[in-house]
Amino acid sequence: MNCGEFERVLPEFLEGEHTREQQAHFDSCSACANLRADLDFISSQAKLLVASEEPRPAVWDALEARLRDEGLIRLPEFVTPKVSIFSRWRTAWLVPVAAALVIAAGIKLYHPAGAGDPAPISKQHGSNPTVAAVAPVSHEDQVLLNTVATRVPAQRARYRADLESANSFIQDAEQSIKDDPNDIYTQQMLINAYAQKQMLYDLAVDRSEQ
Amino acid sequence: MTGARRAQGDKLTEAEAIERAKQGDSEAFKVLYDLHKRRVYSLCLRMTGNTASAEDLTQEAFLQLFRKISTFRGESAFSTWLHRMSVNVVLMQLRKKGLPIVPLDEATEGEEEGQVKKEPGAPDERLAGSIDRLHLQRAVDELPPGYRTIFVLHDVEGYEHNEIADLVGCSIGNSKSQLHKARIKLRELLRMNRAEKAGKR
Repeated sequence: MNCGEFERVLPEFLEGEHTREQQAHFDSCSACANLRADLDFISSQAKLLVASEEPRPAVWDALEARLRDEGLIRLPEFVTPKVSIFSRWRTAWLVPVAAALVIAAGIKLYHPAGAGDPAPISKQHGSNPTVAAVAPVSHEDQVLLNTVATRVPAQRARYRADLESANSFIQDAEQSIKDDPNDIYTQQMLINAYAQKQMLYDLAVDRSEQ
Repeated sequence: MTGARRAQGDKLTEAEAIERAKQGDSEAFKVLYDLHKRRVYSLCLRMTGNTASAEDLTQEAFLQLFRKISTFRGESAFSTWLHRMSVNVVLMQLRKKGLPIVPLDEATEGEEEGQVKKEPGAPDERLAGSIDRLHLQRAVDELPPGYRTIFVLHDVEGYEHNEIADLVGCSIGNSKSQLHKARIKLRELLRMNRAEKAGKR
């Protein structure tokens, strides 16, 4: 057997499948011993190449843009927030409050004028401790309240309560952003809160113009 | 890699990031990308030997991953799933470009025959000790595409011959044979590089 022949059967030889003649050649041939050692060395060194390189940051930028284009990345408002248990508890109430505001606004819009709402203001506030803690309304808020001043008392009270809820919502979101300015989720919640407040204004004005 | 692995210090685990990514969370995508980008990019770079192609393919592999992430049920390791997807992306690209996934025996048979030269009493001629990772990396990049594919999949990525046969569409025997030839070719390249380096001194 010569070295060329041995090289061709080397894969089987390494797996333990070999003849006595092949073994004899290997034992007596330093070139073939070197070959085997080199191939083993190459194979062992190759494992070092796994995860050896890093792509440029531009790769992520391009990928992120494509993910957005395809709608795979959604707006933070539709995503479960990545926050600690504590901060999750702190901001979790914003979601139902936002939903409540939307429902309340909808009721306000379609509720027939003059149909009394029996719930007194004090009772409404009592059911939502966060609202009770809100500071007096601002000048702008007073404009809104003046706009609805001619409505029936129950509706006026509802507007006031909703406004205070929105303010409380904004106050809390702003505080959260102060604590963590990079919290995208809370930023989105703040935007939502202002949107809710805007909707309240629009509803009040629309109803007044009718 | 396990799902319990911590990603980015005290932030999301891989498992948490997967769940968030299913909901379209941008940061979760980034966490998963950061966890696996090196391995995926290195795979693409080793298999193509070209940084621009490797970047495009890395992007494509992750894009496919994120498109399909909602179907990931955790039956296999996430990294296994991703790397298999990445390999398929690269192989598809190589096929599109008409590059041989597996070298043609006709073109290479006989090339290496009798290649082993007698080097009596020359243990210092072995590669060990004179070749580092960078040399090997360069030599792998110089391999013909077909050899490179099999070598990277087996020796770098750790796929078994039956898996390679399945991925590239060849027989197990063919995979074994091509791997052997790839190693022989690499040895030749490394020895040439070493000789060139020695000649410059």
